Amino acid sequence: MARRTVGPKRSLGGQILLLLAILLFCVFPFYWMVTTSLKTQVVALESPPVWIFQPTLENYREVLFEDGVGFTMINSLIVAVGTTILALGLGTPAAFALARFEFRGKKHLWFWFITNRMVSPIVLALPLFLIARSLGLLDTRISLILIYLTFNLPIVIWICTDQFRSIPRELDEAAVLEGASPFRIFRSICLPLAMPGVAVSAIFSFIFSWNELLYAIVLTRNDAKTAPAMAVSFMEGYNLPYGKIMATSTLIVIPVIIFALIASKQLVRGLTMGAVK
Amino acid sequence: MNRRTSPRIVWAFLGPAVLALAVIGIAPLVYAVWTSLHYFNLIDLKDVEFIGLANYASVLTSDAFWDALGRTLLLLGIVLPLQIGFGLVIALLLHQPGVGFLRTLTRLSLVLPMATTYAVVGLLGQVMFNIKYGVVNQFFGFFGAEPVNWIGDPTNAFLTVIFWDVWQWTPFVALVLLAGLTTVPGEIEEAARLETRKWWRILRHVQLPFLVPGLVAVLILRTADTLKLFDMVFTLTRGGPGAATEFISLLIERTGFRAFDQGLASAQAILLLILTIVLSQLYIRFFYREVQ
Amino acid sequence: MRKRTYRSVAAAVLAGALTLGLAPRAEAWSLEEAAQPYSGTTVDVIFLLRPGYEAAKQMIPEFEEKTGININITEVPYENALGQQVRDFVAGGDLDIALIDLVWIGNYAENGWIEPVSKFMDDPALHNPNFQLDDFFPLLVDAFGSWNGVTYGIPFDNYSGLLFYNECMLEEAGFDGPPETWTELLEVYAPALTGDGQHAFALQSKRNETQSADSFARMIWPFGGSFLDENFRSNLDSEGSLRGLEFRQDLMEYMPDGIVSYDHAETVNGLAQGDVAMITEWSAFYSSLANPETSKIADCLAVAPEPAGPAGRKPALGGFSLAVTSQASEKEQAAAWLFIQWITGEENAREYLDRGGVPAIEAVYEEPGVAEEYTFVPALVESWQEGVPEFRPRFAEWPEISEIVQVHGTRIMLGELTVEEGANRIGEEMEAVLEKAGYYDGEKPLAQ
Repeated sequence: MARRTVGPKRSLGGQILLLLAILLFCVFPFYWMVTTSLKTQVVALESPPVWIFQPTLENYREVLFEDGVGFTMINSLIVAVGTTILALGLGTPAAFALARFEFRGKKHLWFWFITNRMVSPIVLALPLFLIARSLGLLDTRISLILIYLTFNLPIVIWICTDQFRSIPRELDEAAVLEGASPFRIFRSICLPLAMPGVAVSAIFSFIFSWNELLYAIVLTRNDAKTAPAMAVSFMEGYNLPYGKIMATSTLIVIPVIIFALIASKQLVRGLTMGAVK
Repeated sequence: MNRRTSPRIVWAFLGPAVLALAVIGIAPLVYAVWTSLHYFNLIDLKDVEFIGLANYASVLTSDAFWDALGRTLLLLGIVLPLQIGFGLVIALLLHQPGVGFLRTLTRLSLVLPMATTYAVVGLLGQVMFNIKYGVVNQFFGFFGAEPVNWIGDPTNAFLTVIFWDVWQWTPFVALVLLAGLTTVPGEIEEAARLETRKWWRILRHVQLPFLVPGLVAVLILRTADTLKLFDMVFTLTRGGPGAATEFISLLIERTGFRAFDQGLASAQAILLLILTIVLSQLYIRFFYREVQ
Repeated sequence: MRKRTYRSVAAAVLAGALTLGLAPRAEAWSLEEAAQPYSGTTVDVIFLLRPGYEAAKQMIPEFEEKTGININITEVPYENALGQQVRDFVAGGDLDIALIDLVWIGNYAENGWIEPVSKFMDDPALHNPNFQLDDFFPLLVDAFGSWNGVTYGIPFDNYSGLLFYNECMLEEAGFDGPPETWTELLEVYAPALTGDGQHAFALQSKRNETQSADSFARMIWPFGGSFLDENFRSNLDSEGSLRGLEFRQDLMEYMPDGIVSYDHAETVNGLAQGDVAMITEWSAFYSSLANPETSKIADCLAVAPEPAGPAGRKPALGGFSLAVTSQASEKEQAAAWLFIQWITGEENAREYLDRGGVPAIEAVYEEPGVAEEYTFVPALVESWQEGVPEFRPRFAEWPEISEIVQVHGTRIMLGELTVEEGANRIGEEMEAVLEKAGYYDGEKPLAQ
């Protein structure tokens, strides 16, 4: 099939320049973050900044072995994976119901689910803190796993509802005629077909949870402290250890970048969910 | 299956999700509504009392609230068109044939900004836009410009926030739109191309309909997230200098977690939530009528 | 020397007690013995990322070994320290020691979150007879640890504002000493020291507690201003307050651009890099400014008390005390007290100083060699002789008022508000807070 050639008419040379500009725009801040993380404090405070210097891994040694950033990354990982699994487990059946069943108030219910995604965490942080306290769940990973459902469940439901709708109904109608229960149709027919959407919502859910800051600051202190909360805690006005802050930032960002790059095919495909109905 | 499904089955599928969100989402919200109707100050809990709508009255008559809200809407009004505009250009560019490797590389690089931890973006902003040690001023220096005071000047600080928001979210918009473009059936596009050579007519009449659902999703998500914008600004400017970057979420955090007036903060937050819901409803009504 | 005096006093008391036939409980007070019932107890405390806490962290293993008590530290940046603790106390959490910035003391005491020290000092099993409140600078015990005449906290991480300056730059410009007054600094020193990318002065003014404490309050007091008058009405529209704020605007001409985004780190770094000639900063920065690894001007560093204003020398006063929390169990309280007594007391004061902390024990600064080794000591001791405890009001409403000062204080500096408009605006909003808190209808005593 012929490739599409629609778009602003521009010479290939111009396009290449533009592409390179976009590439640079996206990548340069990363380059700067990583190089700063390899600078000593003295080099980091050179003015104007230096581009060529003797790199050191000292910042990484310090944040990993003295400040315990590694531990907070493990916390982040457990929380992000845990909440993603839970959100999928709860969200995919709900999305299936919203896509396939007819019942009263369906539209309102769908909107209510999505609305949860819009609630600012600042509204809920303190009440959740007090609730977690009374349940003895403060500073535990399980509390973050549950609370992150407030924004992950809506994402899963949103994307997967669209995905289930895109599956031809004839498939499950045929199964109904054969006497399959809705549960079987969901599990054996629709869910496998909806995997792209499920994957995308899992990716988003993971990224959002990994990056979350406000709940993490309010609800954790030591045991369940997550990596973003750790990065922010170096921001003491007394001292600005740029190298250490950037080393921590790099450590936080790298895993999620790798994950997102590996999954980028699904990601882009998943972003069409809204469109492919 | 256009008939009603039996409630038992519906609830078997929906129940767990509804229950989970009700417990984790609604319970604290109800609590927030309750505190918003009380004088509820964390450092003065002896004196908690019901004060009706007094908190709402003082929010609605407070300059700080309206200023912060205005600032937030201004930001939204600036970044949203920029992100959609740039995003569309990037999407169309990536949709072209030729130099496949470079295009793939660029498409992959788009994933970087949107996956970056928001708080880290602000920290990175502090490092790169520092008046003295920042690489941005070094670039400007190559062209003979005086160092710009990015974070210490009200207007520049606002511009810095705009820059980073555009940096982080334009790729997201671009990817959504690119995904939309790939759903345009090739034959339709080819046929249109035979009829006109003007790319914008093809965009308007052939491609746009396929982009609308993605655009609505972008509008809803970006609007909600801009109203929630906190992490990046908190680590970049903390709302300063003065109140130049005090967006609504930073104001709420300051009221509730630094001045400890949770009653007032809850009232602010609930008004914000109402605004968000109204805006989302509008978007959906306006663009997304065919959702059901 | 003092220590010996105490020992002999203790011995005399002991001898008296023995002859009277009392149980000789104070006789062999030792930490190990006192701590025995509490071995294995864990004490939770919040620390900041500052030199005084680093020093304490290095010393803690010794305490843990002696007592079997575990000290569990959570490190947080200053900006989050109050919020973390308030939430913990409100929820009845697990903090056993409260870390109290002097402006938080009213809040903690009025809410009943902390215990008076008398509870432990009256208990011979817990009170080390060598530990006496008289050993501390009285101003610090009053300001950092006491509220309404009751002492709750023991001064731990102690600061005074000092004038740090680059002696070489001043000499080059023809000055053989630091400015004595703020006016002299502005009119004589500042023009001579500004130019060629260098600036005479930098005043940390970032929009957080730095703006309200280090910038705003530092300028109003020496010029005769204050936050509140005796009726708790705003005193910011008084002549003195306005003059101080005008002075700050005038001085900004000699400060680096973007001073409203300067926090401590940027300011200290300006001096350390040789870009700025003078700064007024907390004593705690001495160690990093005097260290050649972090400071290019270590050899040129000199320290003096802050300049005086028309109303006298009113140096910034700040610092933290440690207190036992009410929410802790009896066991935890006892263990917490033993730790506080150990880390702040005279017996460890010198070690704390040598490791980079600034103790509040008077005697340690009289020890031979200390003033020579730590050149900030004379200026520090002088600043602690007189000072204003209510430099920033210490009542429970301060955090709320501080937020107001932070916003409008920076807006004044940016020229978005005139000094008068800004002062009035802060005044109005501050009075609204105090009104709501019940100071004007007699519900609450006028204590700050």
